[in-house]
Amino acid sequence: MVIYLKAGSELRERLKPDIDYYTRRIKTEEGKTIREILADIGINPALVAFVYTSGKVKGLQYIPSDGQNITLQPPVAGG
Amino acid sequence: MNNGLAGTTLRVNLTTGEIKRFPTDDKLFRRWHGGRGVIAKLLYDEVPRDADPLGPENIFIVNVGIMSGCYIPSGSKTEFGSISPLTNGHGDSNMGGHLGPMLKFAGYDMIIFTGISPKPVFLYIDNDTVELRDAAKYWGVGSLDCEEQLKKDLGEDFEIATIGPAGENGVLFSCITHDFGRQAGRTGQGAVMGSKKLKAIAVRGNRSIHVHDLESLKKQVNEIIQRTKIHPNMEPWQKYGTSFFIRWSNDNAVLPAYNFKTTYYEDVGKIDGDQLIEHCLITHKACFGCWMNCGKYTKAVVEGKPVVHLEGPEYETAATCGSNLGMKDINHVAYINWMMDNLGMDTMSGGGVTAFAMECFEKGFITKEDLEGYTIKWGSLDDVEHFLDMVSHKRGIGEWFAGGSKRAAEKIGHGSEKFAMQVKGQEMSGYDGRWAPGMLLSYMTADIGAHHNRSWTITVDMAEGRESIEGRANIVVYLQHIRPLFDTWCICRLFWGELDISPEEIVESLNHISGWGITFDEALRTSEMIWNLTRCHYLERNRDIGRVFDYPPARSWEDKIPSGPGKGKGVTMEQIEQMLDDYYEARGWDNNGNPTREVLEDLGLDFAADNLEKIGFLGKPIPGGVPPVRGEKYKPKAF
Repeated sequence: MVIYLKAGSELRERLKPDIDYYTRRIKTEEGKTIREILADIGINPALVAFVYTSGKVKGLQYIPSDGQNITLQPPVAGG
Repeated sequence: MNNGLAGTTLRVNLTTGEIKRFPTDDKLFRRWHGGRGVIAKLLYDEVPRDADPLGPENIFIVNVGIMSGCYIPSGSKTEFGSISPLTNGHGDSNMGGHLGPMLKFAGYDMIIFTGISPKPVFLYIDNDTVELRDAAKYWGVGSLDCEEQLKKDLGEDFEIATIGPAGENGVLFSCITHDFGRQAGRTGQGAVMGSKKLKAIAVRGNRSIHVHDLESLKKQVNEIIQRTKIHPNMEPWQKYGTSFFIRWSNDNAVLPAYNFKTTYYEDVGKIDGDQLIEHCLITHKACFGCWMNCGKYTKAVVEGKPVVHLEGPEYETAATCGSNLGMKDINHVAYINWMMDNLGMDTMSGGGVTAFAMECFEKGFITKEDLEGYTIKWGSLDDVEHFLDMVSHKRGIGEWFAGGSKRAAEKIGHGSEKFAMQVKGQEMSGYDGRWAPGMLLSYMTADIGAHHNRSWTITVDMAEGRESIEGRANIVVYLQHIRPLFDTWCICRLFWGELDISPEEIVESLNHISGWGITFDEALRTSEMIWNLTRCHYLERNRDIGRVFDYPPARSWEDKIPSGPGKGKGVTMEQIEQMLDDYYEARGWDNNGNPTREVLEDLGLDFAADNLEKIGFLGKPIPGGVPPVRGEKYKPKAF
């Protein structure tokens, strides 16, 4: 199946977008978690705080569906 | 006159009530860039080295910098500065909201308060009308309540900064509050305002700010607006703000829990961002010129207590007043947030001091008899409410804690300084550095004590290896130059870190506004100059070699993380010493952590080198000379 990962900031450079400035098309297997998919494409999952899809935040255990758009959110310093 | 400046500086002598106007010194701004930079130079020049931070010789500065109030992303910041009563060194802290822009619209770039007023006053500014007004009716009133009352009395269109009872009573970690939830929290600026009997500043103005090249600025900023509108991280930011990172911090063993005993909080699901949005959120809130809306206007509903309204808790408060206190309900965390806001305490230091008291109570170092019959137990909102009342009014042993955890530990004894989680007297922010050595080094070496916004390296630690200290010093130095630049320019840094606005673009905006025509490298060099000056100032006031001030509390190296994903991890004293050696080398300071003449003269700080030499704390010459570029020259791979 295919999912579309989006990222900005430092994560964008690691994601290596190919669809547009922020988006990379990823071929993956059904049932894999975001954490596993990130590891597959060489991104340290610790550098992703959570993912955001369909208006909601999800943890890295989230299992995406075919064709889904998913934004990677990097951690930041608050305050 | 520089473009971007309003043109006038006010000097307010609180002892005599005299208010003088001066043309803003554009050469001073050009060299020191405004905000934190100008504040650093004025504090260095004007405050006697032996002056009591809460005495009449300390000065209190409000500075709006070049970019605040201009047509740029989030040009909203107001910078405050004085000698910190918490650290006894240069102190500065800033807030978002709308105060700074309004001050410029009224025609003022900076206010310098001197002396001590014989009675409580507030500064009233309405364009050309500048007056000290009687504040007797507001004295003793909470920060948030006072802002509401002043708006009723003066008009909704006034922008107002206030202090609360904590600042009035000399609690050393008191903050300044504005816009019902924006705080200049760190370094005890609220205590300095209180010592001067200055309850509030109220400003209204309707003038414009002239910029050097408005057309180029508009073109650039309009492009940034279009670009950030479609940035993938914009929507989650708008929806959740910073509170969502609590769970990530817990998962990655940097979230402080139970006074930094551990980095794993088993009840994180009760205080995280999901809980905030579900139970507390009323609406989103933005600062001047910002379309990010990361502020969360909320309510706290706790049985048996009044429903209260606040902004937050954002990440730092949820960490320092949530997991660090063992709280198990987001409404309780929000209620503590509101109490500290209204009392006028910094939530980071307030949370750290309260957590320290909880551990002292747990160990039997303080008792119910010391606490007027109360306990101070993990997770107890009622205990926290009573404790904060004792601290804010300096009642009984509340006076010990009102000086921060370092001073309280000196009173309590029993070796409690080991777990007073501070550096230079200022409590740590919401990150544990035991398995993030760059973060620990950031706390150790920050010029205002343990504060994350001078340098935040946790993702660097993760990317480069959390067991290793290699390369951290250069990255910390780099970040200590770039992050404080935002406090110098008086703009928010979130557009840089989160929405891909590069520092080079921000310098371009600065040039469109000011006409200075500087490069990013020149800006970094200015920031390095400011950093070295605040270091010299600290040594001149505290009279010892720099290294002795740069160690964290012993828990940082004696105790490994006892639970969670970081179980068994920690740094050693040898690593701490090595990181300090590396850091001083990267800065071109000597092994004692004292700045050298070569670096100071390179930065144009000859006068500071002379002053350090006179008192015997000028760094010894470095064999082989100092590095031509201190810290990373270019952006690290991750930060």
